[in-house]
Amino acid sequence: MTNSIEELGSADVLLVTGSNTTETHPQIGRNILEAVDGGAKLIVIDPRRTDLAKEAHIHLNLRPGTDIALINCMMRIILDEDLADDLFISMRTENFIPLRDYLHRLDLDELSATTGIELKKIHEAACIYARSSKSVICYCLGVTQHSCGTDNVQAVANLAMLTGNVEKKHSGVDPLRGQNNVQGACDMAALPAVLPGYQAITDSAIRDRFQAVWKREIPAVPGLSLTEMTHSGKDGAIRAMFIMGENPLISDPHLSRVQETFENLDFLAVSDIFLTETAQHAHVVFPAASFAEKRGTITNSERRVQLCRQAIPPIANCRPDSEIIMELGKRLDCPGMDFESSDEIMEEISLLTPIYGGMHYDRLEQSHGLQWPCWNRDHEGTEFLHKYYFTRGKGQFTITRHQEPAERPDRTYPYTLVTGRGSYHHYHTATMTRNSKRLVREYPEALLEINAQDAKTLQLQDGEKVELLSRRGKVRITITITDRVQPGTVFSSFHFFEVPINQLTTSVMDPKSKCPEFKVCSVNLQKVKHD
Amino acid sequence: MNTNFIPATAVIREIIRENDTISTFRLELINKRVPFSFRSGQFCMLSVPHCGEAAISISSAPNALPLFDLSIRNAGELTNAMHQMKAGEQVGIRGPFGTPFPMADFANSDMLFVAGGIGLAPLKSVIDHCLFQSGLEADAVANITLLYGSRSPSEVAFTTAISSWKEQGIDCRLTVDAGDDSWHANVGLVTELLQKELITKNTKSLICGPPVMIRFVIARLTEMGCASHDIFTTLERHMKCGMGTCGHCHLDGKLVCVDGPVFSLEQLQTMDVMELGT
Amino acid sequence: MIDLQEMILEKDRLIPLLRKLKKESRLIAPVTNKHGDTLLSEINNIDRDTIDLDRQPQNSLKSFFLPQQEILAHYSVDTTGYNFTAPEAAKETIYFGVRSCDLTALLYMDLIFSKPAKDASYYDRRNRSVIITLGCNDPFANCFCEATNSGPYLDYGYDLQFIDLGSSYYVAAGRRKGADLLNKWDYFFRTVEEEDQKIRYQLFLEARGRFNRNIQVSHACHKLQEEEVAETIWEKLAGRCYDCGGCAYVCPTCTCFSVDDMAIDDSHGTRIRSWDACTSSGFTRMAGNHNPTDRTRHALKQRFLHKLKYDYQKHGKASCTGCGRCVDICFGGVDITTFIEMFTRDAS
Repeated sequence: MTNSIEELGSADVLLVTGSNTTETHPQIGRNILEAVDGGAKLIVIDPRRTDLAKEAHIHLNLRPGTDIALINCMMRIILDEDLADDLFISMRTENFIPLRDYLHRLDLDELSATTGIELKKIHEAACIYARSSKSVICYCLGVTQHSCGTDNVQAVANLAMLTGNVEKKHSGVDPLRGQNNVQGACDMAALPAVLPGYQAITDSAIRDRFQAVWKREIPAVPGLSLTEMTHSGKDGAIRAMFIMGENPLISDPHLSRVQETFENLDFLAVSDIFLTETAQHAHVVFPAASFAEKRGTITNSERRVQLCRQAIPPIANCRPDSEIIMELGKRLDCPGMDFESSDEIMEEISLLTPIYGGMHYDRLEQSHGLQWPCWNRDHEGTEFLHKYYFTRGKGQFTITRHQEPAERPDRTYPYTLVTGRGSYHHYHTATMTRNSKRLVREYPEALLEINAQDAKTLQLQDGEKVELLSRRGKVRITITITDRVQPGTVFSSFHFFEVPINQLTTSVMDPKSKCPEFKVCSVNLQKVKHD
Repeated sequence: MNTNFIPATAVIREIIRENDTISTFRLELINKRVPFSFRSGQFCMLSVPHCGEAAISISSAPNALPLFDLSIRNAGELTNAMHQMKAGEQVGIRGPFGTPFPMADFANSDMLFVAGGIGLAPLKSVIDHCLFQSGLEADAVANITLLYGSRSPSEVAFTTAISSWKEQGIDCRLTVDAGDDSWHANVGLVTELLQKELITKNTKSLICGPPVMIRFVIARLTEMGCASHDIFTTLERHMKCGMGTCGHCHLDGKLVCVDGPVFSLEQLQTMDVMELGT
Repeated sequence: MIDLQEMILEKDRLIPLLRKLKKESRLIAPVTNKHGDTLLSEINNIDRDTIDLDRQPQNSLKSFFLPQQEILAHYSVDTTGYNFTAPEAAKETIYFGVRSCDLTALLYMDLIFSKPAKDASYYDRRNRSVIITLGCNDPFANCFCEATNSGPYLDYGYDLQFIDLGSSYYVAAGRRKGADLLNKWDYFFRTVEEEDQKIRYQLFLEARGRFNRNIQVSHACHKLQEEEVAETIWEKLAGRCYDCGGCAYVCPTCTCFSVDDMAIDDSHGTRIRSWDACTSSGFTRMAGNHNPTDRTRHALKQRFLHKLKYDYQKHGKASCTGCGRCVDICFGGVDITTFIEMFTRDAS
């Protein structure tokens, strides 16, 4: 997030796109609702009528995969209405003219038809967003999990820069991170092309700094992305894997391909707090300690590094992840794998990672965390990003063009399947949440959301089981009839291993981010004949 | 120290298979701390090893004690485990709980029982009790009629009890939603059996079955002129304690486990109740 | 023996007194831990665990009398049969620095767990407890106990009530156990002067005027006896309820619970009672998916009507004690004060 979470509560306009915030980020949802209760305007872009969409002043229920068309349409309206922030554009951005010219060539009615939303509604939303100088955009995986995910994000950035709604308090562009510490994992370079703190692996000066401490040569070429690894296939190059806290045999797209990859492995080791479906295939399983059994830090969406204190000693033979890595490292003859504590690990992080330069355990102990960048001990952390300048200097406008999703509905597969989290009660592949009796009681089985109109056409009753098929596979799932989804669109979660919805999803991914298109694939539904 | 939550141990003396999914478990307590007695319409909290507890109504009459019956449909984790158990094995029992049927008010009345599926279980206790009393000829009821609906012929339960009732002069009318070649009785909903001639000024109607059935039977009886204080039903709710504290069986300010499960229609009409469709 | 009902304790004598009390029983008091959380917690070392009487404890007394998870019974299934044994008895405990709202909630729990039968483990703990309350001179941000008749000072129910007079405490005994303590430790106290009475009265008046929030609780209770709540209000509230159960967990009077078996091995296990919340759809769902309540429209109906309508009918008093904890915890901003404001404002 460029903003801090608390700033959302005082924004005047909140544009939430591709995020079911109240269900998936309740703490942030709380700030959004606070703003709404205080009189702020809420615009929600989502194909589904989520609880948050019901609270919205304007719900833009677009056809899945048409985000760019919608944002371009909004930007063109902003230009036509003379609501662009010319001063900001000239002072802080570059490359605006080509975008302006491109937008002027677009046909508004055509864009509106592409999104499936009437132009009047888009017009109203665009004006509300542009007229306020305290407008915030929150986005989540509904924007990124597309074959054009990177362009979707660029479009959102264009919109914010066009109206000058960045680089200050109460306005910005805020990606909401999913897992509690996915921000921290990315910060620590659990990514193929960077070293900790987003330092490019291709930069030899940076590699030298790390090599001096790690006493090992660091490859100059970026590694593979997650999907590239799990989809390396039957005769792929990947022969061994060590997986920590991830359950790709349920969570990755186009599961039959993932299964092929795993069958091809000579060796699989998994470290997790429960025996996941992936761990069940492992040659070696390391029982890992949970958050309550260890000390360390967690970095949240607003870049806040927070200390997590140990509440109980590890149960039975469980060990913290850091110990598992160090023990492995020692056996693989890796030097320096003798950290006494997570405190010592943080000392090395602050040494090698400029944005974590001022993160010290004693400072974290005495606060509710510090927000990076935090350059040194005297630096108090950073509430919102891009004050005075963007990270790269000037903000760059880039033209983004609408592109259709990899799969479009056709006669054989006439429905669009959107996947995401299904409820408050389960998280991701539910490896943790299905161990809680109460959560299981509240949400016992996988459900497919379907509109009443489609259910009627298919002669389906609420609670009936159907066969859901795509070009890649099929699952059997119980339907729930609801107005949360539009006709033609169905929605389900991937929480339940008995209903591996990712058998159906496509492996097409964004060429830049390598993020798979989890949000759109074409499916068909068939009534299950009673045995 | 929590004696309220310590079940007594009961032995399964006999298992009577009622149909594919319903069995009657004949139990006897073996380490009861206080004398065990109950009245028709009350229920017990049944413990099955490792499965917790469930509220089950008692389907036998008090005069059969020390033996008592729980008729159970295999519908969930606990009931499925119960169906795996054999005679001689042990279960836990707390209770009895709840407000019973007002049997004293039924003296000299014409009794009309309307049941669907497993819903006959709590009414069976009343029918057996009525028959026992008429044997004693004190406080006896006048006539007894039973209307019993099942989904299909193979799902008709309590057939042993029903033949014995027929022999003792009870007018038993059975119906199924969908018949087959073997079925010679009525086909159709149980409400279709509710004919005018069954109702007298003196009729007390006792109903138990699925919520939709209860709703339609009540509507039909009211239409035929039955007074709301002469219609009784017993409600099923999710329960954890049986003693009015856990809160799960809340019903518009009342608790089904202590204020019910038996309610007269007169009582229900003042409340917001799923079974009445309000 | 003199019957000591009201006494003055100089502040310097507080720790020496508590030190004596702690020798005879477990002592629970509000402590702010190093992470900044104020919790009613057991005092192990009276010199190290600093008692904090300036902040509202995040937990109420509920967790001590109806623990979040509690073993109701141990069971075994073996050749000797299927047998249950009761857990061990509670310890004598003194609770110090309890706020008026939380004691009022405990008095309500006394009612709930006494009918139709006394809940044995609740009463085991209750009978072995002594409650020393502290009147609130300065209500916290979300408090509205004056509107629920449960503070800032209490007239009854406490064993002892402390009122902070500045350099001393005005201590009153409300029940036998409190009077016994005053008698037993009478040498720590001095008698009440007229001046102490005056200060106490003045502080009480000032405290009543310091509430930030004016919640129309009794108006809501009366109105609920006379009219139905508009469906639109229930639906608006339900749309904002995210089923986290937070309100029920922090509420000092939410006593709904679940009971589940936890197997330890094939032949042993424990039967556990744990907090539950009527706002969850699984709370009432039965086999076959029948659910007498509709969460999507009525998630909060039972919670609010129970506190403001049904309990008012049964006990003549709402079972909200105005502690304000649910105001802090609710993600959707649909705590009981939101409901009361919506309902009492509603023109219909």
